[in-house]
Amino acid sequence: MRSPRAWRTAERPDGVAALELRKLVKRFGGAPVVDGVDLTIPDGAFVALLGPSGCGKTTLLRLIAGFLAPDAGEILVGERRLSAPNAVVPPEQRGMSMIFQSYALWPHMTVEQNVSYGLRLRRLGRDEIARRVATICTAVQIDSLMQRYPGELSGGQQQRVALARSLVVEPQTLLLDEPLSNLDANLREEMRFEIRRLHDEFRYTTVYVTHDQGEAMATADLIVVLRAGRIEQSGTPEEVYGRPRSEFVARFVGGANVLPGRFAGLDVPFSIRLEDIALLRAAPPEGIAPVEGTVVRRVFLGSARDYVVEAGGELVRVTTPPQVDVQPGERVWLEFPPERCHRLDPVFPVGD
Amino acid sequence: MRVDFSRVLFALAALVLAALVVLPVGWLIVTSVGGPHGFTLDNYVTLFTDATMIRPFVITLASSAAVAVLCVLVAVPMGWCVARTDMPLRRWVRILVMASLVTPPFLGAIAWELLAAPNTGFLNQLARAIFQLDRSVHPFNVYSVTGLTFVNFLYTFPYAFVFIANALERIPADLEDASAILGAHSAQTAWRVTLPLILPSILAGALIAFLQSMTVFGSAAVLTLPAGFHTMTTRIWSLFQFPPKPELAAAASMPMLLLTLGLLRAQQLVLGRKGYALIAGKGARRTVTRLGAWKWAALAFCGFVLLNAIVLPYGALLDAAFVKIAPALPTFDNLTLSHVHFVFFELDATALALRNTLILALGAASIGTALALVVGYLVARRAVRGWSVLSFLASAPIAIPSIVLGVGLFLAYTRPPLLLFGTLWILLIAFVTIEFPAAYQQLSAVVASIHPELEEAGRLLGATPLRVLRDITVPLMRSGIVAAWCFVFIGAIREISAAILLFTAPTRTLAVVIYDLNESGDTGSIAVLGLLLMAVTFVVLALANRVPVIATAAEEYRA
Repeated sequence: MRSPRAWRTAERPDGVAALELRKLVKRFGGAPVVDGVDLTIPDGAFVALLGPSGCGKTTLLRLIAGFLAPDAGEILVGERRLSAPNAVVPPEQRGMSMIFQSYALWPHMTVEQNVSYGLRLRRLGRDEIARRVATICTAVQIDSLMQRYPGELSGGQQQRVALARSLVVEPQTLLLDEPLSNLDANLREEMRFEIRRLHDEFRYTTVYVTHDQGEAMATADLIVVLRAGRIEQSGTPEEVYGRPRSEFVARFVGGANVLPGRFAGLDVPFSIRLEDIALLRAAPPEGIAPVEGTVVRRVFLGSARDYVVEAGGELVRVTTPPQVDVQPGERVWLEFPPERCHRLDPVFPVGD
Repeated sequence: MRVDFSRVLFALAALVLAALVVLPVGWLIVTSVGGPHGFTLDNYVTLFTDATMIRPFVITLASSAAVAVLCVLVAVPMGWCVARTDMPLRRWVRILVMASLVTPPFLGAIAWELLAAPNTGFLNQLARAIFQLDRSVHPFNVYSVTGLTFVNFLYTFPYAFVFIANALERIPADLEDASAILGAHSAQTAWRVTLPLILPSILAGALIAFLQSMTVFGSAAVLTLPAGFHTMTTRIWSLFQFPPKPELAAAASMPMLLLTLGLLRAQQLVLGRKGYALIAGKGARRTVTRLGAWKWAALAFCGFVLLNAIVLPYGALLDAAFVKIAPALPTFDNLTLSHVHFVFFELDATALALRNTLILALGAASIGTALALVVGYLVARRAVRGWSVLSFLASAPIAIPSIVLGVGLFLAYTRPPLLLFGTLWILLIAFVTIEFPAAYQQLSAVVASIHPELEEAGRLLGATPLRVLRDITVPLMRSGIVAAWCFVFIGAIREISAAILLFTAPTRTLAVVIYDLNESGDTGSIAVLGLLLMAVTFVVLALANRVPVIATAAEEYRA
C-alpha cells in the first residue's frame, strides 16, 4: 500500500508553493453554498473533495478554477493571490487544467486538434507541439485515435482524450469534476488507477471532486469530506475511514454503525465499522462483555454476509465472512472490540 | 463572456431592441388617443359604433376561427400519417407541406384567382365544360369569405402541421406501450394517451393558425377588394388611402394587438403546464402503425390537400407565366416567353424592386442574425444581470402583427427628427423587427444546447473569452447561424403586410410590385415575378438545409 505521506516526499523540481483556500465563502442568492472553507493543498498532492450532492464540492472546484468569484475569503498560491471578492485572476491565467464531468471535448475538432489546442494558444513551434502531443497521447494510450472526432469515440476513449488535453499543457494543478460518473463500472475502476498513475508520473497537484468514497480512497492522498459547504473532516484515507470524527463521516465514508452511549459498556456515542464487530453463535466464555441479540435479516454478498441484528434496543449491521451462517430469528452475541469503537467528536452533532 | 464587454453589448442590444419595439408601439398608443384638439377617445368610439369598422372585425374573427378549425381537422390526421404510419411518400408529403409553408399567402391568393375567379377561373371553365353549364354559372368563387377562408387555410395549416407532427414524433413509444400492456386497444390508447399528450400542440397549432389568418394582409387584399368587403388588415390599410386617417388606423390596430397578446399568453399557459412536458431522449423509439390497404386512402387525403395548396396554384402560375392569355391550357400555339421578356426587359419596376428586395433581405438577414446572436448568447448564458429584460424585448415583436407594426413605424418615422419614411431604412427596420424574433429563438436554443463546459474548457487551457467565442462557440453554432440567416432572408423577401404601408415609388419591393400588378390584372407578369420570388426562396432554403458539416457531430454531442 502507498504510504499516506507519499506526497510530502514527491517534491516538484521547481518547488511551487501550496494552494491555499482561506475562509472561502460563496452564495447563490440565499444560504452559502461554500461556507468558510479553510484548506491547504500541498504542492503535488492528490486531494479528493468528497461529499453528497449539494455539499458544495463542485462550487469549491469552480472557485479554484476561477469560474466563480468568492463572496468572501481568498485563494492563494504562495504569494500570488488568485481569487478574492472582486479580484479574480481569469481561468486562462491560472496555470490549471480541468477534466469536466461531460469531458467537454469540442465536437468540431479531431482528437489531435482538441489535444493540441492549449499548445497552439501558447504559440509553440509546430514540431514542439507535435512532439508533446505525441508524448502525452502515448502516455494515455490514444495515439491510434488522433484523426477521429469525439463523436466517434467510446466513453473511456473520450475520458482519455480529456486527460491528454488537460495534461499536455503541463498544468500546475489538475482539477477533476466527477470525471468517472459517466463510465460503466469496469471502466471506472480502470480509469481510477489511470488517473493516479498519471498523477504519479507527472506530479502536478490534483483536486478531485467525487461523491464516491471508493474513488476517493483509491486515488487520493488526502480526503476532504464536505457537508453543507463546510469541511467536516480532512485527513488521509486511513484516518477518515478509521477514525471518523462525526456520525456523518462515519456513515458517508464506508458505512458504519453509530450507536448511542451506554451501549456495549461505553458511555458516549461512538461509531464502529460493520466488519469490526464479531458475531458469535454462543456467549464467549470471557473477555469483552458481549451484547445479546436476535438476527433480523441476512444477505449473502458472495465474499461476505451482511446481517442486521437487533440488540439492546438498536439495529446493528454486521459484516461477517461467508462461513458464518446464521438464520434469521436465531440468538447471537455481538462483540465490540474497544480499539475499533470511535467516540464521535461532540462538536459535530449527531443527526441534523 | 463573463467580462466587461458583455455589459456594453447588453446596453447596446437593449437600446436597439427598445427602439425597435417601444418606439412604434408607443406612437401607436399616443396617436390612437389623439385628435385635432388633443386627447380624445373619439377614435375608439368610431371603432365600436361605425358599421364599416365593426363588419371587418366580425368577418375576420369568423373567418380566422374557421381557418383554425380546418387546420386542426387537416393537420392532425396528416401529422399522424406522416409521423406515425407507414404511408408511402411520407418524406415528399413533408417537403410539400414545407413548400406551402414558405409560399406567401398573397401569391397563393393570386394563383387561386387564376383557378377560381368567377368568370375566368380555370376550375370554373373546366366545370362548365364538363357539366355543360351556362356561362353565367360559376361553381367556385374565390372572391368571398369562403374563398378567403379556404386560401388562408391552405397557407396556414403547415404551422399546425409542424406543431402536431413534431409532438407526435416526440412521444416515446414507452408511454403507449405502457397503455397497451395494461390492456388498452390501439384505439383506446390513441384516445386516452396519445391524443391528450398532443392536445397542447393541437391547441398551439390552432392558435397560430388563427393569429396568422387574422393578421394576414396580402391574401386578404387580393381576395376581398374585388368582392367589396374588408378584413381588419385591409380596413387598416384603407385608412391610409386618401384621405388618410392615421389616428383611426392606430385605434383600429389596438384590438388586433391586444387579441394577439392575449392569445399568445393563453398559449404560454397551455404549453407551460409542467405535466405536459413531453420530452424523450435521443433514440426513443416510436411506434409505427401499419395501415395496410388504408395507406392509399391516407395518401389520397394528403395528396388532395397538397393538390390544392401546391400543385394547382403552382401549375396555374406556371401556366400564366408561359401562355399568351391565362388561364388556358398550354398548347404549342399559345406558349410564349413574352411575359418573361416583358418583366425582365421592359418593366422598369423589376430591376428597382429586385435591387431593393435584395438590399433589404441581405441587410435584414445580416443585422437580424447578428442581433439575435448577441441577445441569444447573453440570454441563454444568463451572462448579464437583466437578461430577462432582453429576452422579453426580443420576443415582443412576435405579438405585434406586421400591419400594426407598419402603422406604428409610419407614425414613428414620418416626423422629425426621425424622418425615415420614403427611404429603404424604414423598410429595413420593419423587416428586422418582424423577422428577428424567430432568429433569436432559434439561436438562443442553439446556444443553450452548447454545454457551457465546452467554453470553460477553452478558458482553462488559456484562451481569452473572445478567443473562446471565435474558436469554439461560433464554429459550433455555424449551422444554426446560417439557418437563422436564411429564415430571416426568406421572411424579408416575401414581406408585404408592413411594406404595403411603408413603401414609396422608389422603395418598392418585389412583393409590392406583384401586388400592384395584380390590381392592374397583369397575370402573366405577376406569375413570372411570383415564380422568381419562389425560386430565390427555394434556393436559399436548399442552401440552409445543406449547411452541414459539423452539424451532425455537434448534434451527436449535444444528445
